[in-house]
Formats: sequence, structure tokens, C-alpha cells
Amino acid sequence: MINLRRYTLIRNIILVWMTVVLLAAFLLNIPKINILEHTARNLYFHVPMWFTLMAAVFVSAYHSFQVLRTGEIVRDIRALQAARIGAFFGILGLVTGIVWSKFTWYVGTDIWWNFDPRQSMVSLQLLIYGAYFVLRGALDDPTKRARIAAVYNLFAATTTPFLLYVIPRQMESLHPGAEGNPAFSEITHPIMRLVFYPAIIGFIGLFWIMYTQRVRTALLKNRVSHDPEL
Amino acid sequence: MNWIRGSWAVLQKDLRLEMRSRYALNMLLMFVLSSLLLIAFAIGQEAVSERMQSALLWIVILFSASIGLGRSFVAEEERGTVLLLQLNVPGSQVFAGKLIFNFLLLVAVDIVALLVFALLLNMVIENWGLLVASLLLGSVGLAGATTLLAAIIARASNKGPLLPVLLFPLLIPLLLSVVRASRAALEGGLGVSGAMGDLQTILLFSGVVITAAVLLFDYVWQD
Repeated sequence: MINLRRYTLIRNIILVWMTVVLLAAFLLNIPKINILEHTARNLYFHVPMWFTLMAAVFVSAYHSFQVLRTGEIVRDIRALQAARIGAFFGILGLVTGIVWSKFTWYVGTDIWWNFDPRQSMVSLQLLIYGAYFVLRGALDDPTKRARIAAVYNLFAATTTPFLLYVIPRQMESLHPGAEGNPAFSEITHPIMRLVFYPAIIGFIGLFWIMYTQRVRTALLKNRVSHDPEL
Repeated sequence: MNWIRGSWAVLQKDLRLEMRSRYALNMLLMFVLSSLLLIAFAIGQEAVSERMQSALLWIVILFSASIGLGRSFVAEEERGTVLLLQLNVPGSQVFAGKLIFNFLLLVAVDIVALLVFALLLNMVIENWGLLVASLLLGSVGLAGATTLLAAIIARASNKGPLLPVLLFPLLIPLLLSVVRASRAALEGGLGVSGAMGDLQTILLFSGVVITAAVLLFDYVWQD
């Protein structure tokens, strides 16, 4: 049983934390950077969304593994909710990235989509989660659905790491640290890191709040209807 | 020894059933032929670059695999032979038998697709060894992923076109590597030595996918 008072305390800390981060992200002065200029503030949002997606992918895969090990329906609920919120943050990260590149590198051109490795990877992960949700919709019995969806989730998790190796070989990256691009530490002023690192913690905390809330709701629904997705 | 005998029995059963009706094979070949003809008509007389040739070839193979190979476990459900297989043969042997059967079907698809495509699009193949290696290795990985997913969709209630949806996101790393390797084989020259890295990636991918599929198969197969 969770300690409700401690849960509320941590949740409130995260909410205050995120508010401070958001205020700092928009109000703190940032040094002038070539090409990026004030769009560099997107660093505080775009990159943490990426980290959040990765955290969600790990949480989802871990609980899928536990579904196969223990067969508990709670684990399936956790895997599903982590995947849903991960997909949400993935879409946000993708959109902020596309808009960012459009108004910096591609300003004045018609290019919206580029085949940047990270962009390709996040779109692929979104495709996988889309397929995962479709597969769940095609299975009726909750225990069978839990097991088979977990198999697909884990199977997909074994193939995605190949992209880390395959894609950079054939596409150029816009991201820092890639070939020919300055490293992250060279383009970011210390003052930006002062906001950036707390923003990562804040976004992952936000993920945790949304995730735990959704899991609780799904558990209640499951108790009423014996089907966590109704 | 017993393991091989069990897998062989499953493979033999599938081959014999296939020889009786030739349903899967005919469907695959008709799909390959008609989609290749569609491509040829749509392109017309235009010269197609090597990159496009290898991309189109693999897209046709991928789509026909996703349509034709999905039946391997659905057919068992329809015939009502699932329980019999579950009782008589351990899961890994069923998987191995089905995997080899799917691989053989894919080899047939590869041969037909390559020959017809070379004829229709005036393909010039510079390096046969590399092309055959990329087709065969790519088919191993493709068969590995398709066999597990076919077992998954046999469990679903709305089987419809579920397999392509599940399959394509998983195969993008494989597709990128095989398209590059086949392209190098068509172009010849300097690209060939560079394609060795792609072949290694395909091999590694196939190995990982088949290992993961064997480990996960029992959870899908057993009730």
C-alpha cells in the first residue's frame, strides 16, 4: 500500500520544481549563440522530452518483462501506461525538434522533415508503440492480452538498439556531438546547464506523476470492470 | 538429436501440406508478380537508379512476406491442430520447423522477385555473391521476425492485416542494411568492400531476432 501523504508531498515538490524550471527557462537571460539565438531555450524542453521517452521505454519494457515472469495484470497496466505516456512525450519531442530545425537550419527552405538519426529513431519508437496499441486492441482476454502484448513489447525492444548502429552510418546528424558538430559542452553556456539539468529531473518527475495517476485510475477501472482498458 | 527430429517432423508436415494445396506459395508468387508488374508499369521506360532498384526489390519482398507468411500459425488454428502440436512437440521445435519453412518460402520469393525484376527493370548485377548473400541473410532475419509475429497474430481475435502493422517497425534496421548491401552489389566497384559491415549487421540482427524469438515463443504458444 502506498503512503498517500508521502506521495502528495513528492508530487507537490515536483509541481513547484517544474514551475520554477518553466519560469527560469523563459525569463533567465541566455548568451547569444550562432544560428540558434533565442530558440536555444528549446533545449530546456526538447531534450528533456527525449530523456523522458527513454525513461518510459525502459519502464515499459521492464514491466513487460515482469508480466512474463509473474503473470500479474498490474504489471501489464504499468507497461501500457508507461508506453502511452512515453508515446505522448515522444510526439512532443518530435514536434519540438521539427519546429526547432525548421526555424534554425532550414529557415527559408521548404524542408520540414530531415533524416536525422535521432528523429528517425523516435519516429520508429512511436511506430512500435502504435503497433503495440493496435495489437492490444485485437486481443480480448485480459490475461492473454497482457502476455502477448508483453512479448511484442520485449521483441521490439531487442531490435531498436540496432538503429543506434545502423542509422548513423548513413545519415548525418544535426545534433551536438555528432560528426562535424560541436559537442554539447561547447555550445552551452554554464547558465543554460543550470536550467537544463533541473529541467530533465522535472520532466521525469512529471512523467512519474502522470504515470502513477494513470496506473491508479486503470487499477480502479480494472476492479470495477475486470478489464483495465474499459 | 530428438530436437532435430521434432523440428524436422514439423517442417515435413508443413511442406507436405503445402505441396498438396500450394496455397501459400502460389499466393506469395502471385503477389510478387503482380506488385512487380505494377511497379514496372508505373515506372515505364524510365531508367531507375541502383538505389531505387534495391529499395523497390526489398519493399516487394517485405510486403509479400508480411502477407504470405502470416498464415503459418493462423492455418493451425483454423484446422484445429494447435492442441495436437502443443501436446506432441515442444515449443522450440515447432518454432524451428516453422522458421525453416518460412525461410524456404522466402527463398522462393527472392528467386522469383530477383529474376522478374532484373528482366523488367533491366537490372545489371555487378556482384552476384554479395547480392545472393544479402538476399539470403536478409531472408533469415525476415523469417525470424515473421514467425514469432505470425504466432502472435494467430492469438488475436481480429487477425486481418495485423501482421504488416506489427512487422514493419521492427524490420526497419534490417531493411536499411539490406537495401544498402544490395545496392552495393548492383553498383559494384568500391561499395562492395563497404557492404561487408552491412552484411555483419544483417547477420547480427538475424541472430538477435531469432534468439529473442525462441526465448519469447513459449509465452505465445502455451496457453
